[in-house]
Amino acid sequence: MVENAYVLGMADLMVAKAPAKLVTLGLGSCIGLVIFDHIAKVAGMAHIMLPDSRGAGNLEKIGKFADTAVPALVDEMLKLGATKPHMKAKIAGGAQMFALPGASAEFLTVGAKNVKETTARLAKLGIALVASDTGGNKGRTVEFSTSNWMLKIKTLGKGVMEI
Amino acid sequence: MLDLGSFNSLQLDAIREVGNIGTGNAATALSKLLSCMIDMDVPTVKLVSIYDLAQHYGEPDEQVAAVFVRSTGGFGCSLIFIQNEPEARMMVDLLLKQQFGDALPKDLSQELSDSALAEVGNIILSSFLNAINILIGTQHQISVPGVAHDMLSSILDVVASIFGQMGEMALMVNTELRIGGAGDAAISGNIVMIPDPDALEILLRKLKVL
Repeated sequence: MVENAYVLGMADLMVAKAPAKLVTLGLGSCIGLVIFDHIAKVAGMAHIMLPDSRGAGNLEKIGKFADTAVPALVDEMLKLGATKPHMKAKIAGGAQMFALPGASAEFLTVGAKNVKETTARLAKLGIALVASDTGGNKGRTVEFSTSNWMLKIKTLGKGVMEI
Repeated sequence: MLDLGSFNSLQLDAIREVGNIGTGNAATALSKLLSCMIDMDVPTVKLVSIYDLAQHYGEPDEQVAAVFVRSTGGFGCSLIFIQNEPEARMMVDLLLKQQFGDALPKDLSQELSDSALAEVGNIILSSFLNAINILIGTQHQISVPGVAHDMLSSILDVVASIFGQMGEMALMVNTELRIGGAGDAAISGNIVMIPDPDALEILLRKLKVL
């Protein structure tokens, strides 16, 4: 069976029925969040940029923030027939690519905050985080396939791994 | 806070001119450092949606080297100097050959070449910023440079998330420097300026276009 491939841009959020392949290119400090239900055969992905939507005026892109993206992705999954007890999550990303010794550059640590907030939001909704590859100082390109429910992660210099 | 989406053409011209002055100064500094001719283009100033940033540069998985500095003070901004990986290496070689001549070891450690890269980036970006701060009469402090080697899309992802903390639009002041006298292959690099929103307001006020 041919998989439908979907490429997600920044702050995008998407759900699809199997067979599907969900791809997002070059995650730096952003998070690639995958939630899937292998019983209902539904998968969804979000490209999360920032942890917290508070203070943001425009909420046009709910996929942009961890606190809005996680519940929205779960809702979209439910619409496609997934059930919460069967949902599992995988995350990748949240790197800090630039380190400036001695500089107070809080905005550069946004990756770690993204990981923390995404993890907390999943826990709050009772969704099991079954695998993650986060942090470090390298960008990641991720690809989730419903053929094996695995998240393939490409990192420059480290090659390809699956979680 | 300024709405990045509502600039008029006079204001964009002013920002472009500031980019031009900064680039000119950076080109001069690089020219002195490497003792060779540097060409530059008139910078482009673009207001783009942060979600489309990646489409304005080359291939998403192209390997690039990037030097990042953060400037605080009267005109707060982040600056990134991006080169594709082979050209960054050529520039480092050029600099080190000048310093060490033929005594330069062939298998240079990553640490040493990163240090050289950070230094060149630092000189380029600091000269860029100096010119701007002199122009508008502000004081500034520049951070130690940070270096990253990664996919272009990952570097831009970080840029987008810096802008994303303030809104949906990114202001890219983009300019290209080309190093002559490096044999057949030209070396080029892009300076990307990411001004803080309040910094833009200061800039435009000082230039009397706000």
